[in-house]
Amino acid sequence: MPSIPDFITTIWPELTLIAVACILFLLGIARSPAVRKFIPIIALLTLAAIFFCSLQGTGGILFSRQFPSIRSADMAQFLKMISSGITILFVLLAWPSNKEATGNAALEVGMETGEFFALMLLSIAGLFLVFSANDIILLFLGIELASIPTYIMVSVSRPLPQSQEAGVKYFFLGAMSAAIMLFGFSYLYGTTGMILLNSNGDGASIADIIARSEWHLTGWQTMSLVMLLCGFAFKMAAVPLHFYVADVYQGAATPVTAFLSYVPKASGLVAIIKILSVFGGPEFILAPQILHLLYALAVLTMTVGNVLATVQPHNIKRVLAYSSVAHSGYLLTGVTTALYCQNLPGTRTMALAGILFYLVAYGIMNAGAFGVLQLLPTKARSSAAGTPTGGDSAETFDDIAGQAKHHPVLGLAMATCCFSLIGLPLTVGFFGKVFLIKPALDAHLYGLVVLIMINAAISAAYYLRIVAAMYLRPESQASTEAATMSFAQPKPIMVAVALSAIGTLALGIILPVTTIVAGEAAAAAKIDIQIHGIPAQTAMANP
Amino acid sequence: MDYLLVLLLLVPTAGAIVGAFLPGKIARTWALLVSLGTLAIALIGALTMEWHLPGTVNPQLPFPERPEWGIGVPSIGFTFSLGVDTISMALVLLTVGLTPLAILASFESIKDRAKEYYAWMLALLVAMLGVFVSRDLLLFYVFFELTLIPMFFIIGIWGGPERRFAAGKFFLFTFTGSVFTLAGALYLGLHYNTFDIASLVHYAQYGDNTPGHFIAAALTSTQRFWIFMAFLAGFSVKVPLFPVHTWLPLAHTEAPTAGSVILAGVLLKLGTYGLLRLAIPIGMMDANGVAFPAMCRFIGALCVIGVIYGALVAWVQQDIKKLVAYSSVSHLGFCVLGLVAMNAIGMQGSVLYMINHGISTGALFLVIGTIYDRYHTRDINKLSGLSKRMPIMAFFFVFFTMSSIGLPGTNGFVSEFLTILGAFTSKTLGIRFGVLAATGIVLGAVYMLHMAARVLFGPLKVPGHEDDSHTQHSALATGHSSHDDPGDLTIREISFLAPLAIAVIVLGVLPTPFLDSILDPVNSILHQPLRGAPVAATVPPPSSKSPLTPGLRYSEDPDSIAQQSGSSEYLRPGVIVVNPLLNGTAQGRALSPIASTPTSD
Repeated sequence: MPSIPDFITTIWPELTLIAVACILFLLGIARSPAVRKFIPIIALLTLAAIFFCSLQGTGGILFSRQFPSIRSADMAQFLKMISSGITILFVLLAWPSNKEATGNAALEVGMETGEFFALMLLSIAGLFLVFSANDIILLFLGIELASIPTYIMVSVSRPLPQSQEAGVKYFFLGAMSAAIMLFGFSYLYGTTGMILLNSNGDGASIADIIARSEWHLTGWQTMSLVMLLCGFAFKMAAVPLHFYVADVYQGAATPVTAFLSYVPKASGLVAIIKILSVFGGPEFILAPQILHLLYALAVLTMTVGNVLATVQPHNIKRVLAYSSVAHSGYLLTGVTTALYCQNLPGTRTMALAGILFYLVAYGIMNAGAFGVLQLLPTKARSSAAGTPTGGDSAETFDDIAGQAKHHPVLGLAMATCCFSLIGLPLTVGFFGKVFLIKPALDAHLYGLVVLIMINAAISAAYYLRIVAAMYLRPESQASTEAATMSFAQPKPIMVAVALSAIGTLALGIILPVTTIVAGEAAAAAKIDIQIHGIPAQTAMANP
Repeated sequence: MDYLLVLLLLVPTAGAIVGAFLPGKIARTWALLVSLGTLAIALIGALTMEWHLPGTVNPQLPFPERPEWGIGVPSIGFTFSLGVDTISMALVLLTVGLTPLAILASFESIKDRAKEYYAWMLALLVAMLGVFVSRDLLLFYVFFELTLIPMFFIIGIWGGPERRFAAGKFFLFTFTGSVFTLAGALYLGLHYNTFDIASLVHYAQYGDNTPGHFIAAALTSTQRFWIFMAFLAGFSVKVPLFPVHTWLPLAHTEAPTAGSVILAGVLLKLGTYGLLRLAIPIGMMDANGVAFPAMCRFIGALCVIGVIYGALVAWVQQDIKKLVAYSSVSHLGFCVLGLVAMNAIGMQGSVLYMINHGISTGALFLVIGTIYDRYHTRDINKLSGLSKRMPIMAFFFVFFTMSSIGLPGTNGFVSEFLTILGAFTSKTLGIRFGVLAATGIVLGAVYMLHMAARVLFGPLKVPGHEDDSHTQHSALATGHSSHDDPGDLTIREISFLAPLAIAVIVLGVLPTPFLDSILDPVNSILHQPLRGAPVAATVPPPSSKSPLTPGLRYSEDPDSIAQQSGSSEYLRPGVIVVNPLLNGTAQGRALSPIASTPTSD
C-alpha cells in the first residue's frame, strides 16, 4: 500500500494546484459575482503559498519507492520554485477587471473566470509534472496538461475571430506535435520495454538499459529521440517548428500571450534536457549527429527568431512572439553547451545553471513587457464602450507611439524590460547572457558564442524600436486619441509590471541577490540520472 | 580619500535620480550644481593625486588603493573595483570639465521634457566616469555599454529632424561592436579567473604563476589575436575608425548641442581609451614586445585613410556641424595612429590628443550651437559674415578653429605633432604613414579655414524672415538695426567657452607636465623602463614572482614593491621632471624607446 505522506511530500505542488483548480471550476459556476471575485485571489494565494513553501528547498531527490513515476530532484525543485514565482506575475496580468482595462474581454468577472484560472493552474500543474516526471507516460501527460489548457485559454480569451483562429491553429498543430512525440515515446518503449526514465537503484529503467549498451543507440532509438526532440521543440517554438507562434501570440489576449511565452516553453525545454540525459546518461554521451542537431536547432532558432522579429512591420505582439522564439534559441544554446562538455563536468553544471538562470531572467523581464502593453491606453479600448472590439491591449507601434510622455513610469518599465531582453548591463538579461556565454567559451564553442553575440546585436534592433516608439516617436493619431481617454489602470497589472521591472533591475544591479540566484541555480543544476551501480549523486531516499 | 572614486560615481547617480523628480526650471540648475559637485570631487582627487609618481607601484591603475569591495558576482570573478592612473584621471577631468559646460549650453535650447534631459545627462556622466575609473574588465564593459542608453535618448528625443534614425544607428553600431568585446572579456576572465584589468594584462603577457592560483599560461598568439580582434570590434566602432565611422556624422549632426559636445568630447575617447587600456596591453603586447606589427600597420592604414577621407569629406560639407563631425573622423585617425605607433611618444601624443580633441571639438560644437540657437540653420550657404554681428563669437570660432587645425601655441599642435612624430619614428609604422597622415593636417587647415572664412567673413548673410533671394539684401540693408538681430554671445555663453579657451592655451604652451605624468603608464604598456627605474626592475621576467600577488598588489608602499622586484633604487619619489618639449633625457628616451638605455636624470 502506498505510503500517503511519502507520496505527498514528493508532488504536493502538483496536487495542490490540481485540487485548487477543481475548486475554481466549481466556484466558476457560482451565480454571484461576489463569489467569483475570489477566484483570482485563490489562484494567486495558491501560487504564492507554493512559492514560499518551496523557497527553502529540501535538497536532494524526493521520490517514493511505491510510486516511482514521480521523482523530484534538485533541478525540479528549483524549477518549481521559480515557475511558481513567475506564474504569480501571469495571474496578476490576467487579473479580471473591467474589460476596457485588461484587454481581455472574457476576463471580465464574467462566466469564464473560474474556468480561465482553473485552466491556468492546471497548465502550471502540467509544467510541474514535466519537472518531476520519471516515466514516459507521465512526461507525456505533463506536457499535454501544460498545453491543452492553453489551447482553450487562447480561444476564450477574446471573442474575436482571430482568437478562434489562433486557438484552432494552436490546437491542431499542438495535437500533431503530440502525435509525433507519442510516436517517439512508443519506439522508446518498444526498444527498451520500460516506461521508467530513471530507476531508484534497481536498474530497471530506460536510462539503465541505454547505459548498459554503453549509450550506443539503435536506429529505432535514435529515431525515437529525434521525434521526441521534434515534439518538444514544438512546445518551445524552436525553428523549424515555430510557424504557429506569431498568429497564436497575436490572436490571444495579451496576458495569455505572456503565459504562452513562458509555460509551454519551459515544459519543452525541461523535457529536452530530461530526455537527452536519459539517452546520454548524466554525461550526455550522445552521437555527434545529435550534438550537431541541437547546435543547429539552437542557432537556427535564435537567428530566425530574431530576424523575423526585426522585419515585423507593425504589430508588437508579433515582434515579441518571434523574440520569444529567439529566447528559446538562447536557452537551447545552453543545452548545446551542456552536450558539448563531455569531459568538463564543471562546465556542464555551469551550462545547466545558465539555462536555469536564463529561465528566471526571461520569465521576469518578458512578463513586464507584456504587462506594459496591457496598461497602455489604446483607441480601440477607449472606444469599446460596451461592445468588445477585441484589439484592446496596445498592440501596434502606432498604439504606443509617444506614450512615454504621458506614462513616464510605464515607459521606463518598458525600456527596462527591453534593455534587459537585449542583454544590456544593469539588468538581469545581461547576467543571463553572461551565464550562457561563459560555459560556452569554456567548452570552446567560440562559433556559438559569436552567433549568440550577433543575435544579441540583431535583437537590439527591434527591442530598440519598441523603446524608440514609446520615447522618440511623435504621437500617432491612434495614441493621441487614446491618451485623451482616461481609464483606470488595474492595480494588479501595475503590481505585476512593477514586480517585473524591479526584479529585472534588482537582479542586474544588486549583485548579492544575483549571486544568490546564480548560486541556487548552480546548486540545482544537476542531472538526476542514476545508472544502476554507478550512482550519479547520493540520493536522499525517503524511508 | 579611499571613497573618492565611489563618491565620484555616486554623486551624479543620486543627482540624476533626484533630478528626474524635480520641476523643469529647477532641474537644470540642479544638474549644473551636481555636475559642478562632481567636478569638485574630481579636482580634489586630481590635487591629492601624486601626478609626478604615476606608475610607481603598478603603472596600470594604482590610485586609490582600494581592495576588493566585497560586491560582485564571485561565481564569474566579477568585482566592483575602482582606480585611476594619470591617463584615466586626465580623461576623468575632461569628462567632468565638459559636462557642466554642456549642461550650461543646454539652458536655453532644451525646453521640452527638460528634467528628463538633465537626468539623462547626469546618467551619461556616471557611465562615462565609470568607464575611466573601472579597474575590473566586466565593470568597464558595464559602464561602456551604459553610455549607450542616455545618449540614445538624448539624440533620439532632443535631436534634429533625423534624430530617430541617428539614435538607432548610433546604438546599433556601437552595440554590435561591443558585444564581441563582451565575448572577448568573458573569455579572458574565464581563462585567468579574474576580471582585474591589471592582473589580466600581466597574466596575458607572462602567464599566471602566482602561487596558489590555478596555473594559466600567457595567451598564445592565436588567442591573443582573437582577443585583440574582439576588443577592436567594440572600440573601433566607438572611436570610430574608417569603415565603421558612418554612424558618427549622423549622430553628431542630429544630436542637440550638448549631446554633440559630449559625444565628440568624451564618448569617442572611450574607444581610444579602451584601445590603450585593454586592446593594446592585452591583445597587442606579449612578453617580447609588439605581437602583431602587421596588425598595427593595418590599423595604421585605416587611420590614415580615415584622416584623409574624413578631411576630404569634411571639405565638401554644407552643414557646419557635419563638417566638424567629419573632422572628428579625421582627428581620431591621428589619435589611433599615435596609439598603434607603439612607441612612447606616439602614445603620449595620442593621450594628449584625446584631451585636446575633447576640448577643441567640444568647443567648436558649443560655438556652432550658439549660432544655431540664433539663426536655426547650420547651412554654410545661408550664413556669411557673422563676425560683423557677433564679434565675440567670431573670436571664439576662429580661436577654436586654430586649435583644431593645430596652430603652434594651441593644444592641437602639440598632440598632432607628437602623434605624427610617433608614426615617423615608429618601428611598426614608419615614414610612409607619417607622411600620409601629415597631409591630413594640410587638409584640416583647408576645410576648417574654408568654413571659418565663409561663415564669419564676407558679406553679412543670415537667414531672414523673407525668402532666400532677398535674404542677403534685407539683412544687409537692415544690418544691426534689424529687429531679429539676436545679438552677440551672452555672459552665459562666454562662460562656457572661456574655460575651454584657457585650456587650449594652457595645454598648448605647457603640455610637458602632463606629457611627463603620462610617460610612465605609457612606458609600462610598452614595456619600456619607467622613469628612474633600472630596466630589469620594470620588465618582470616571465618566471619571476609577480608583484601582483594577491594582497601585495597595489600596495601603497613603494619600498615593498621595490624589494619585491629586487631593486633598491626602483624610483625616486618626489622628482617632477619638467622637460621642454624636445629637450631633456625623458624626451630623448621616448624618441628612441626600444634601443636606448636610461641615462641618469
